[in-house]
Amino acid sequence: MQTITLKLKDAAMSGIAQVPVEVDALTPDKLFGKSEAELKAVKVWWGNKQEAAGDLFDVSVAGDAGSGDEVKIVFEGDLTRVKRIGDGMKSGEIEARGDVDMHCGAMMEGGKIVVKGNANCWAGREMRGGELVIEGDAEDNLCAMYRGEDKGMTGGKVMVNGNAGECVGQYMAGGEILIKGNVDRLAGLSMSGGKITIGGDAELFGPDMIGGEIVVKGKVLEMMPSFRPDGTESIEGVEYKKYLGDLAMGEKKAKGTLYAR
Amino acid sequence: MVEVTDVVCSLCGCVCDDIVLEVENNEIVKVKKGACSVGKAKLLGHERIKSPAIRENGELRECSYDEAIKKAAEILYKSRRSLLYGWSSTVCEAHKVGVELTEDLGAVMDNTASVCHGPSVLAINDVGLPSCTLGEVKNRADLIIYWGANPAQAHANHMKRYSYVSKGYWTEEGKKGKKMVVVDVRKTMTAKMADVFVQIKQGKDYQVFSALRAILRGHEDVVPDEVGGVPKEQLLEVANMVKESKFVMTFFGMGVTHTGARHNNIVNAIQFTRAAHLHTKASIMPLRGHYNVAGINQVCTWETGFPFAIDMSRGYAWYNPGEQSATDLLYRGDCDAAMIIASDPGAHFPGESLKHLAKIPVIQIDPYANPTTEFADVVIPAAVSGIEAEGNVYRMDNVPIRLRKILDTDYLPDEEILQRILTEIRAMREKEGE
Amino acid sequence: MADELLIRNGVVYDPINGVKGEKKDICIRDGKVVDSVTNPKVIDAEGRVVMPGGVDIHSHIAGGKVNAGRIMRPEDERKGVEPKTKVCRAQSGYSVPNTFATGYRYARMGYTFVMEAAMPPLAARHTHEEMVDIPILDNAAMPLIDNNWMTMEYVKSGDTDLLAAYIAWMMKATKGYAVKVVNPGGTEAWGWGKNCNLNDTVPYFDVTPAEIIKGLAEANEKFEMPHSIHVHGNMLGHPGNYEMTKDTYDVVKGIKPYRDRPTMHATHTQFHSYGGTTWGNFESKADAIADYINENDHMSIDLGSVILGDTTTMTADGPMEYSLYQITGRKWTNHDVELETGTGITPFLYSGKVSVHTIQWAIGQELALLVKDPWKVALTTDHPNAGPFIGYPIIISHLMSKKRRDESAEAMHKAIFDRAALPSIDREYDLNEIAIITRGMTAKTLGLHEHGKGHLGVGADADVAIYDMSPEERDAGKIQKAFLNTKYTIKGGQIVVKDGEVVATPPGRTIFVTPECDDKLTDEMLVTLKDKFAKYYSVTFNNYPVQDAYLPNPYEIKAPWRSS
Repeated sequence: MQTITLKLKDAAMSGIAQVPVEVDALTPDKLFGKSEAELKAVKVWWGNKQEAAGDLFDVSVAGDAGSGDEVKIVFEGDLTRVKRIGDGMKSGEIEARGDVDMHCGAMMEGGKIVVKGNANCWAGREMRGGELVIEGDAEDNLCAMYRGEDKGMTGGKVMVNGNAGECVGQYMAGGEILIKGNVDRLAGLSMSGGKITIGGDAELFGPDMIGGEIVVKGKVLEMMPSFRPDGTESIEGVEYKKYLGDLAMGEKKAKGTLYAR
Repeated sequence: MVEVTDVVCSLCGCVCDDIVLEVENNEIVKVKKGACSVGKAKLLGHERIKSPAIRENGELRECSYDEAIKKAAEILYKSRRSLLYGWSSTVCEAHKVGVELTEDLGAVMDNTASVCHGPSVLAINDVGLPSCTLGEVKNRADLIIYWGANPAQAHANHMKRYSYVSKGYWTEEGKKGKKMVVVDVRKTMTAKMADVFVQIKQGKDYQVFSALRAILRGHEDVVPDEVGGVPKEQLLEVANMVKESKFVMTFFGMGVTHTGARHNNIVNAIQFTRAAHLHTKASIMPLRGHYNVAGINQVCTWETGFPFAIDMSRGYAWYNPGEQSATDLLYRGDCDAAMIIASDPGAHFPGESLKHLAKIPVIQIDPYANPTTEFADVVIPAAVSGIEAEGNVYRMDNVPIRLRKILDTDYLPDEEILQRILTEIRAMREKEGE
Repeated sequence: MADELLIRNGVVYDPINGVKGEKKDICIRDGKVVDSVTNPKVIDAEGRVVMPGGVDIHSHIAGGKVNAGRIMRPEDERKGVEPKTKVCRAQSGYSVPNTFATGYRYARMGYTFVMEAAMPPLAARHTHEEMVDIPILDNAAMPLIDNNWMTMEYVKSGDTDLLAAYIAWMMKATKGYAVKVVNPGGTEAWGWGKNCNLNDTVPYFDVTPAEIIKGLAEANEKFEMPHSIHVHGNMLGHPGNYEMTKDTYDVVKGIKPYRDRPTMHATHTQFHSYGGTTWGNFESKADAIADYINENDHMSIDLGSVILGDTTTMTADGPMEYSLYQITGRKWTNHDVELETGTGITPFLYSGKVSVHTIQWAIGQELALLVKDPWKVALTTDHPNAGPFIGYPIIISHLMSKKRRDESAEAMHKAIFDRAALPSIDREYDLNEIAIITRGMTAKTLGLHEHGKGHLGVGADADVAIYDMSPEERDAGKIQKAFLNTKYTIKGGQIVVKDGEVVATPPGRTIFVTPECDDKLTDEMLVTLKDKFAKYYSVTFNNYPVQDAYLPNPYEIKAPWRSS
C-alpha cells in the first residue's frame, strides 16, 4: 500500500480571489508508478494556467504500490476550492480531509472516495462504478447527469451521512444512492433506473420518472400530483405506500416506483 | 429635418423594427411612430459616460481611449481567471470579438441570460424547445398563455405586435377571436385582460405543470383536488381550452424562471407544451429581456458550442451554468478580474456577488454610467448600438435583424474597443515571448 | 512575385476533365490552376492520390437550425472538444460541431466547398453570420421557397412568371444559391400540426405539393440558374414512401432544363426509398429508386447514407421531426417560420442492432451501387441527419470494398440479409468514381464547375486534396484513414492542411446567384409581397433583405432571364 499525501499550500488560496485548483490529474490510477519527483511535476490546472503539483501541494509519499488499487491519496488543507477530486478515477482510494469543491467523484469508474466533510455540487456526476462516501452534506445535483445528457449515474454506490440538495440522482439510470438525512426537491428527477433511499424528509421527488425506485423513510413534505397510488408494501418490516409514475410522462413510460410512509 | 423609417429599437427582446424618427443636426428630435414609451426614452437618449477614465486613489481620472484600453489589457493579461460578462445590449459583431478574447485569455464568458433566461436555456438543454417566430403567433394563435409574465408592463408592444391583440391571416379579428390565460401569483395588468386568470401559490409552478400534463395525457383521475393553490376544476378548464384551441402559444417570463424549481419549471413548461401538442398545435417561447440577449446565446453557441457560462481556461469550452455563471463565480470569489460590457451587474447582482466584484479590478465598457461605474477601475465609453453603431441582433424568437446607425459619433463601437484590447494583449504576450 | 505551387508526380483523378488516375503535375499560380510555373514551391505527391477539392452538395452546417441543435445538445458539444492551437480556434461538437471545427474537419477530409442545404429566408442573416465564421471553406446556401405563401398563391393562380419574379427577389434578398424545397405544403400544414402527401391539398391554400414542385421547377428554368430545384419531398422517413418518391420525380419529367443538367435534384434519397407499410415489415426499395434513376435523365440524387451512432437530426420538415421524436421520446426542438417554412430537430441513435436502422444503413449504399452512372449520384449523409460528415470516409471505404461491407453486415442485425439488397451487390467503386460522387458530379450539378470548383483544369480554383494513399490501396481501413485526414489540402493555392493538421485558416467565400428579372414583373410581384409584409410578417419589408455587410467575401453568379 502506498499513501500519497497532498496538502494544499495556504498560498494558493491567499490571493484576492480563490481561484479553484482542478485535480482530475491526481487520481490513484494516474499517479501509480510515479516517483516523488515525477509526482511533483504532474501538471494541475489552476485557472488559465497549469502548475506543477509540487508548487500547489506539499507532497509526501509513504510505502509502495504494486498497482493503482494499492494507491491511496490523501488530500489535506483547505479543499473548499479544490475541484474534480477523483474525477474519472478507476481504482485505488482517495480520502479528502475537509469540505471539497464541485465534481468530486464525477465520472468515477472504480475505487473508493471518502470525503470527511461536505461535498459541493455535482459530486458523483455521471458516476459509473466504485464507491463514494460523503460524511457531511452533499449540495445540489449529487450523482446527476452533465447538462443535456440523458443519463446521470449509471453504476456504483454513494452514501451521504448528512443532507443533500436538489435533484439528487437526476437522470439516474443505475447504481445506488443512500442519503441518511433530508433532501431538497426533485430527487430522482427523470430517473430511469437504480435506487435512491432517503433516510429523512423529501418533497416533490420522482418527477418525470420512467424507471427505478425511490424510498423515502422520513416525512413527505409534498407529493407530486401525477403519481398513482398502488397499495402498500413492506420494506425491512416497515409498511410503505407505493406509487407508480410519473403519469405526466404518459401511461406507457410511467414505470417508476415511489415508496413513502 | 430628415425622417428615418424602419428604425430598429435596441431596447427589449421585442426588437420592434418599424419605428419612424425625425433627425435634425445629428440628433433625434422626435419619435413619430412604432416605439413604446420605454423604447422612445432610449431613442431620445440620456446621460452618457463622457470620457474614458481610470480609477486612481478612489477617483475616476479622465484619460484617452489608448490609455484606458492599455490599462484594461494589462488587467486582463495578468489575470489567472477573469470574467467577461454582460453582452446582451450590444451587437453580434462585438460578441464575436468577445469570444475570441475569452479564448485568448482562457477566461470565463457569461452573459445576462444567466440572471434572466439562463434557466430557459438549461431547460432547452434537457428537452428542446417547440417554438416558432412571433409572426406565426400573430397569424395563427387562438389561445395565448402568459405564465409568470406581465408583458402589459415589461414588453409594452408585445401583445399589440405579436400576440393577443395583434391581427393576422387567421386572426383578422384580433383579440375577439382569441382566448388568453394568465398564470401568476398576483393579478397583474396583463392578468386583468385575461379570459382566465390562474392564481398560483408562489413557487408552485412545477407541480401545476405536472398536473396539467397528467390531465392532457388522460390521467386526471390521479390529480388531487388542489395543486399549487389552483383548484382542480380550473386545471381541467385550462386543459380543455388547450384541447379545443387550434394553436396554443405559451409565453413565460421571470416569474417562473427564478422561483421554486427554477430551470426545472421551464423543463416542465416545455413538457406541458409537448403534452398539449398531442391535442393541438402548441408552441412556447421565453419573453427575453434585453434586445440581444438571444444574440449572445446564438453567437456563443456557434463559436464555442455552448450558449453561456463558458470556461475557456483549458483552451477549449467547458460549459456548466451554476459553476461558471457570473453570479456563482463572484459569490464564490473564484475570479480575479472582470470586464463588464453592455450590462449592469451593479444594479442586478446579489449583494454577496457584488462584494467580490468590488474587490477585484473591473473594466466597464458601456455608453451609459450605471451603478457598475461606481466601482469600475477602468471605464470605457462606447457608441450606442442601434443609434450610433449598426450590427446584427436576434429578437426573442431568434429572428436576426440588423440595427441601423442613425447618428454619427466619436465614441468607438464595442467591437472596435474589444478588438483593440485583444490586439494590446497579443502584443504583450509576444513581448513576453510566450 | 507570383505565388506559385507545383504538385509533382501525383496520381490525379479529375473526372470533369476525363483524367482517371494519371501521373500528372498540377501547376498553381495566384490561387488558380495554370499551364506552367516558373519558380514554384514544390509538393512531392509521388505515388499519392490527387483530387480536386471536395464539393459537398448538401450539408447542414450553418444557421438557426444547426445552432438550435447545438443549444439543445451540450452533450454532443462536449464530445468533440479540442483546445485552441496557434492556428486553430477551440473546437466543440461531434454531430453539430461549432463553426470553426466544421471548417477544419471538412478541410482535413480534402473538402473546399460546402452547400448549406436549408436557409429559412427570414433567418438568412443568421445562416450568413455562421458561414462567415466557418474558416477555409467556400460556401453557399439554398433558401427555402416552397412552403411560402407567395409561392403557393402563384402556383394556384398559375402565374409562373410572377413566381419566377418572386424567386429572383428572394434569391437576392437572402443572398441564396438555389431553390430549396422541403416537404412542400407539408411544412405549412405543420403550422396547424398537420402534414401533406404529394397530392393532398394544402390546408387553406388549395394547391397540392405536386403542383408546388412543378411550378417551382418551371419558374426555376425561366432563368439560367446554375442548379436545378433541390427537393426534399413529402413523407420523408415513412415506410412505403418509395412510390411517392417516384411520383415526385415524375412531376418534373418533361420540363426542359436550361442547360445540360437535371431538372430536379432529389436529396438524401435514402430516406425516401422505403418499402413496407410499417416499421415491422420495413424494407429497402433502393432498387426501385435506382431503376428509376437509371431509366430517366432528368434527375440527380444524393445519398443521405447512414453513419451508425448518435447524431442530431434537423430539417425544415417539422412534421417529420415530430414523428421521429414521438418514436424516441427524446428532446425535440421545433421552430416554425412565419409565411415561409419550419424547423424540427431531435437527436437520434442509429444502431446496427436495430433492424430498421440496419436497413436504412444498407439503403444509402445500395443507391450508390445500383445507380449505374455515378454522374447522377452524390455522396452525402445529409449531415447531420443520417450521420455527421466526418463519417464520409467510412462510406467511401464501404463503397470501395465488398469485403468491408460483408464484415460490417455480419456484425449487424440479420434483417440486412432478407430486407435489403446490399449483401448481394458485388460492385466496388474505384477512385475515379469516388472522385465523381464527391467533387465532379456535385460541382457539375450545382453548376460550380463553371466557376472553378470540382476540377483541376487550367483556370480552375487551386483547390486540391492529396490523400496519403496509393491508388492501388485495397485495404478498407487504410482507405478510410486516408480520406479522413489528407496529406495536403490546398485551398485557393494556399496549403491549409498538412499531414492531417490544419496549418492555415483563410476565410472562405460565399457564392450566391442573382437571377435577373424584368422590372415590370418584379414591380407587379412586389405589390403582393409588400402587402404580405404589411399584414402578416413581423418584420418590415425594408429590414428583410440580407445587407451586404453579411458577405465580406462575396462571389456573385448572374442568372439571366431566358429570352425564349
